[in-house]
Amino acid sequence: MTELTAPYWQAASEGRLVIQECQSCGRLTHPPLPACPRCHGRDLGWREVSGTGTVYTYTVVRHPTHFAFADQIPYAIALVELTEGPWLTTGITGCDPTEVHAGMPVRATFRQVTDTVTLPYFEPAP
Amino acid sequence: MIRRAVAIAGIGQTGYAKALEPTAWELAVEAVLAACADAGVDVADVDGMCRFTAPFETVSEAMLVRALGIRELSFFAQAPHGGEALGAVVAHAAAAVSAGLANVVVVYRALSQSKGGRFGRADRGAADRSADIVVPEQDNLSFAWPYGLMSPGQLFALWTRRYAAVHGLTDEDLTRTLGTIAITQRQYANTNPAAMMRDRKLDWDTYRGARMISEPLRLFDLCLENDGACAFVITSAATARALRADPVYVLSATQTLSPYREPMGIYTGGEMLELFPPAAADRLFGQAGVTRQDIDVAELYDATSYMTLRSLESYGFAAGGAGWRYVLEQGTGPDSPLPVNTHGGHLSEAYLHGMNGILEAVRQLRGTAANQVSDAEIALVGAPAGSATILAR
Repeated sequence: MTELTAPYWQAASEGRLVIQECQSCGRLTHPPLPACPRCHGRDLGWREVSGTGTVYTYTVVRHPTHFAFADQIPYAIALVELTEGPWLTTGITGCDPTEVHAGMPVRATFRQVTDTVTLPYFEPAP
Repeated sequence: MIRRAVAIAGIGQTGYAKALEPTAWELAVEAVLAACADAGVDVADVDGMCRFTAPFETVSEAMLVRALGIRELSFFAQAPHGGEALGAVVAHAAAAVSAGLANVVVVYRALSQSKGGRFGRADRGAADRSADIVVPEQDNLSFAWPYGLMSPGQLFALWTRRYAAVHGLTDEDLTRTLGTIAITQRQYANTNPAAMMRDRKLDWDTYRGARMISEPLRLFDLCLENDGACAFVITSAATARALRADPVYVLSATQTLSPYREPMGIYTGGEMLELFPPAAADRLFGQAGVTRQDIDVAELYDATSYMTLRSLESYGFAAGGAGWRYVLEQGTGPDSPLPVNTHGGHLSEAYLHGMNGILEAVRQLRGTAANQVSDAEIALVGAPAGSATILAR
């Protein structure tokens, strides 16, 4: 977590999904950047987004590469394309990992993983 | 213009194995000495070095200068992005020699994954189980690691799935395509005495039956993890000709970087299948003064079997989206239009960040490869995001 990314994680801990927004031209950028790559504006804020999107691509991990995830195998990770456009790397929860597929409609859900960190996950949208 | 202005005058390598007794430093010394001996140059006369950046390369040029008793380096440079340094180290060395910054440049890569930690493990060197996992300091990692997206294999699994979805491959299509690549490369390795998998056959039952690591990638779709070192010597073309009868000329070498086309980047702008900026491919062939049809053999960076497939398209040997049919119909074996990864590649010879692919291309162009492509004159060595070199005899 850095100064640049802290507002994202702060919002997540409050159950909100926010994306960096250029206050000059309105471009949404994720992960956040120190300047707007479109207009070079430095007045950057955060916009709360709908939390809905679709699975762009995914994988089901069956071999852990880190001991911290050994007890979560198998788990689904995905790139989700938000309705507003930007992509997020995330995990898919709320269904069997084998049910995840490209194009699947999903919505944000929040999972507190430590005392101080809450992660936006996504689950199948009804 | 570096075309035919510089040449590879010598190559050297250590043995490759899952665990070797020597340290990475010792392996680097062995490979560099072998490359200099092959070139016929006194290692003391080396005046330039090029290497991959840390943390990938743990042996600094300062360590080698000390250990080898080199008088003075007048040029040394490092290239970032892991395997995407492949074309860059050649480009930097060639540019230095062309510009007169150095006369004898050694490029090297030494790996000790048995001692230094396996690249497939995200927890290498982790001292305790609580820190830094949830939200690491690096901005882009901080959006991937907390979800357990931590290794190149997992990242390429995402890309492979996307490729299959966009181009309409069934799971069976994908399995047959990736399996063809893995099995073909294993067959090359079976007749390459230097390959780690020389004595290990791979058939379809074994391939299909292997455990999934990160779907849809199975065990044999992922590269080896090993120890070993490679080195080569770049000099002016005139010097190389004076040293040996069969120098291998550098026709072109590229590196490339654009927004969201960062090697190993998780966030890619637009369509993530088009990592390779088309302009870089055109530059690679244009500067070399050759076409795709002129390439006799290709050594394509294959941390996963999918990367061999994707690179066939990136470099224009197959149209975008048609690479999988090309693999199924033409193949990449000795009798195919374009033999690929003739040493076995990272999947079956050894993993040396693409450097063993450069050494194999040199052997092919000298006519000394274990799996010799008849009358090979021009070779392409490339990584999937566009860092590449074209070599010729």
